[in-house]
Amino acid sequence: MYIYRLVFLLVLAIYIFSPNILDWWTTPGNAWYSPFVIWAALIAVGFWLEWRRDPNEF
Amino acid sequence: MSFSAPGLLLASLLYLMLLFGIAWVTERGIIPRHWVRHPLVYTLSLGVYAGIWAVYAAVGLAAESGYGFLAYYLGISGAFLLAPVLLNPIMRIGRAYQLTSLADLFAYRYRSQWAGTLVTLCSGLAILSLLSMQIQAVSTSASILAPDTSPHLISIMFSLIVVLFAMLFGARRNQEMENHPGLVVAIAFDSLVKLVALLVIGGVVLFTVFGGMGGLETWLAGNTTPATSMSMSIDDGSWRALMLMSFAGALVLPHMYHMTFSENPSQKALAKASWGLPFYLLLLGIPVPLILWGGQELAVTTGPNFYTLGIAQALENPALTLFMYIAGLSAASGLMIVSTLALAGMVLNHVVLPLKTPKDQGDIYRWLQWVKRMLIAAIIFLALLFHETLGKNLDLSILGAISLAGTLQLLPGALGVIYWPEGNRRGLIAGLLTGLAIWLITLVLPFSHTANLLGWLNAPIVPDYGNWHIFTFVSLTANIIVFTLTSILSSSSNDETSAAQACSMGALSRPQRRELLASSSDDFERQLAEPLGRDVAKREITRALGQLKLPNVEYRPYQLRRLRDQIEINLSGLLGPSVARDMVKRHLGFKPMTRGSSAQDIRYVERALGDYQSQLTGLAGELDTLRRHYRQTLQNLPIPACSVGEDGEILMWNQAIAELTGITADEVVGARLMTLPDHWHHLLDDFNRGEDLHRYKHRLDLRGRPHWLNLHKAALSGPDHPDGGSVILVEDQTETRLLEDELMHSERLASVGRLAAGVAHEIGNPVTGISSLAQNLKLETDNPDILETASQIQQQTRRISAILQSLMNFARTGNHSRTNRYEPVSIRRCVEEASNLLSLSDKGMGIRYINDCPDTLQVLGDEQRLVQVFVNLLANARDASPDRGSIQVTGKQDGYSAIIEIIDQGSGIPEDQLDHVFEPFYTTKASNKGTGLGLSLVYSIIEEHYGNIQVESPASAQTGLGTCVRLKLPAYEPETDSVTTRPNERY
Repeated sequence: MYIYRLVFLLVLAIYIFSPNILDWWTTPGNAWYSPFVIWAALIAVGFWLEWRRDPNEF
Repeated sequence: MSFSAPGLLLASLLYLMLLFGIAWVTERGIIPRHWVRHPLVYTLSLGVYAGIWAVYAAVGLAAESGYGFLAYYLGISGAFLLAPVLLNPIMRIGRAYQLTSLADLFAYRYRSQWAGTLVTLCSGLAILSLLSMQIQAVSTSASILAPDTSPHLISIMFSLIVVLFAMLFGARRNQEMENHPGLVVAIAFDSLVKLVALLVIGGVVLFTVFGGMGGLETWLAGNTTPATSMSMSIDDGSWRALMLMSFAGALVLPHMYHMTFSENPSQKALAKASWGLPFYLLLLGIPVPLILWGGQELAVTTGPNFYTLGIAQALENPALTLFMYIAGLSAASGLMIVSTLALAGMVLNHVVLPLKTPKDQGDIYRWLQWVKRMLIAAIIFLALLFHETLGKNLDLSILGAISLAGTLQLLPGALGVIYWPEGNRRGLIAGLLTGLAIWLITLVLPFSHTANLLGWLNAPIVPDYGNWHIFTFVSLTANIIVFTLTSILSSSSNDETSAAQACSMGALSRPQRRELLASSSDDFERQLAEPLGRDVAKREITRALGQLKLPNVEYRPYQLRRLRDQIEINLSGLLGPSVARDMVKRHLGFKPMTRGSSAQDIRYVERALGDYQSQLTGLAGELDTLRRHYRQTLQNLPIPACSVGEDGEILMWNQAIAELTGITADEVVGARLMTLPDHWHHLLDDFNRGEDLHRYKHRLDLRGRPHWLNLHKAALSGPDHPDGGSVILVEDQTETRLLEDELMHSERLASVGRLAAGVAHEIGNPVTGISSLAQNLKLETDNPDILETASQIQQQTRRISAILQSLMNFARTGNHSRTNRYEPVSIRRCVEEASNLLSLSDKGMGIRYINDCPDTLQVLGDEQRLVQVFVNLLANARDASPDRGSIQVTGKQDGYSAIIEIIDQGSGIPEDQLDHVFEPFYTTKASNKGTGLGLSLVYSIIEEHYGNIQVESPASAQTGLGTCVRLKLPAYEPETDSVTTRPNERY
């Protein structure tokens, strides 16, 4: 269960700070599509994690 | 630009007909199965989440809070990216126990029908506003395009088509296929239409309105007001609320649960969707800012919610306009169909069936299908009613917010299923009631203009469009606190604890081993026929037996418990977990427990651990390796062993006992001792029940041969292991027993030999005396009769002496001190001497002795005794040979051995006598012709010379006649130069 607690903490932290993260994404200097680029990068990480995952892993 | 109402209706009908066509073609199997089950189709079908939001409401929210609209997509993206720890466990539980909705999951985990019913009611209330939102979007979009159309007509027509579709393709219950492939493909097509439409309108705006990226940048640089540049600061509260609701949506929205878990084709598909759905939502999100800016640039009058349509109209492009309308229609219809279906299933299992279980003996499957169809119609009718009375007056975004805030109340319970085994039904129901009450009072009633309690009470905060998120958080927080506190303060039932164990992450359920009332699967059938009817009961039992790969009739208690679980799972898919559990509990019951607790089902746990093997890591993996090691040790133990539970159920049956009994472990593990064949059953059951811990040399006749078994028993319970039962070792002593018998036989013979020698010695003296007296008698008389008598006396005393000499020779075995006197002896000379001696006898005058032994063949030994060997062997051969027969003696050196064969042409020795010929006093000759000691003597002498003797009969396979006696003695090699060579110098 240890790993799940860590995941839970991480998710909670991201959730609490998500407005600040979005503010950072949409800083006026950035291009209008920059939030989408960062989001796409997150998806790429998700894809990579899924790709290298052992099918029997939880 | 506007459309005519009939034209719009026709277009809507045509599109929905297309959807019907796709679903129908899929159901008929015309589309290849691997396409239907492809992860891409599954991922697209999950796009049902976006609903009307994607096409219309997202632009409206973007106009209000800039990039805040992304919260609706980012929340669920997060949930899917966390699929391995959030969605996979739910899918595992859902699949294992056939839980098709969130209400099923709650009813199963919290062991409460009320939990299921409450979840159903909560989802139902929340979904009504979501359905109303879809109906409103479709009717409003229709009125924008055809202002003269009646929105009521559009709403009703649209609802009717959705009802029809859901009834035809969603309410079907196919026992062979658990999924609804037609529905999945149609919804995936809906999502594709939605995506293409948005990308097309985004592209059109970018390239037609702004003239490409450069034009857009220039426009953005010139329009820096917050409303146009989307740079307005995001309201933290509503962002967080929307994000949380969207995150929860992956689990608690009925249509998402249905598509994600119930229609899931494979684990792999969910893994692909974990990044596939976020990617799909990203593509849906990209055009939203473009559409907003396009609408602003074109000064579209429809209001931001419907900019998608407005832009197409402003561009005077009827095809594009119709496409956008169809996209909205497809988004709305997809969401409505799936959520209605999911809700109908929940209402059926948790409201209808608990009130009325079908007890008529008709076709239960058909009955369920029709009830579900009626429920679908009823739900859509209610949604229409809600829309016409309240929904149409509310904004799209607030309708969505109310709906999501309602389903959000289910999040604590859903997370508790996987992560908090301590949570119980009292806590869940109390928390849910609290959260729902606050939700109703602060969000539903004020926004539907029914009652604004906070306003009447002059509360500091009164719900409005700007602070709805506060009340969302308040209701959720109250829900969590009440859930937690009540769960901690109240106790859970055993049933609930075991369900919690079964559901929590990576845990195994540890069922107890209890005795069923039924003793066979036929009993199950009779018991289930009462609630289900004979046909349905028979079909369900056969199906479960087939799934578990069990024989048509099953008796083993362990397999019957598995069968009972499987029946509960299957009935859960049919009637919902609560009804299924009640039915199974009532009709397939256990016998009352005789003691306070019962033993764990070791075999069940072992099997489950076996399934988990590849998933166990770290300490658990090490423990599993140890478990396997000890298990294998027991399995491979060369002593037959088995362990038996307190109730006589066999828990372990190792390989050695399987070999001894000829019964494999698969046949008996999980069965009672009484199901063993009679002889084993009597032996093991008696011993298991008896007081004795050991039983020695129990005779058991197996396969026509006697076996002697030693049994040992030890109790399994100990300080670390409270469960009862015993382990039984069965030692097969048959070999030892036979050896003992043989030894006793030898002992007896040896004592007879010693006795004989003693007697012979004692008799020798008087016989010598008699012989001397007879000799004297001959000297003292001339009477021919008396002389004849004296001669006969002498002859008989010689005979007695010969017998006594043989006896003395036989008794004198094993005297190894004689080996000191051994010297090289020529075999040829011995044979020669023996045949000469025999030739002197008047018996067998016509027999020829052929001595083929080479002169060089020598052994180290006592020549006199070896001559005795050959005399005996040749005499036997002579006695067996026919007149004028020949006896051949051959010899050869084979390595370090001398092999001598004596072959006659006699009648041979019958096979059953071959084993006995060397036994003392064993003879086939007449009593005055042989003592039965000759061959025994030969055997002893050859053993003294470290050789061995074999008898083969018949000697010739062709004639079937003759006997061959083969002697093998260590050959003597005279010392020569080559012998003195050191071994390492030989080569």
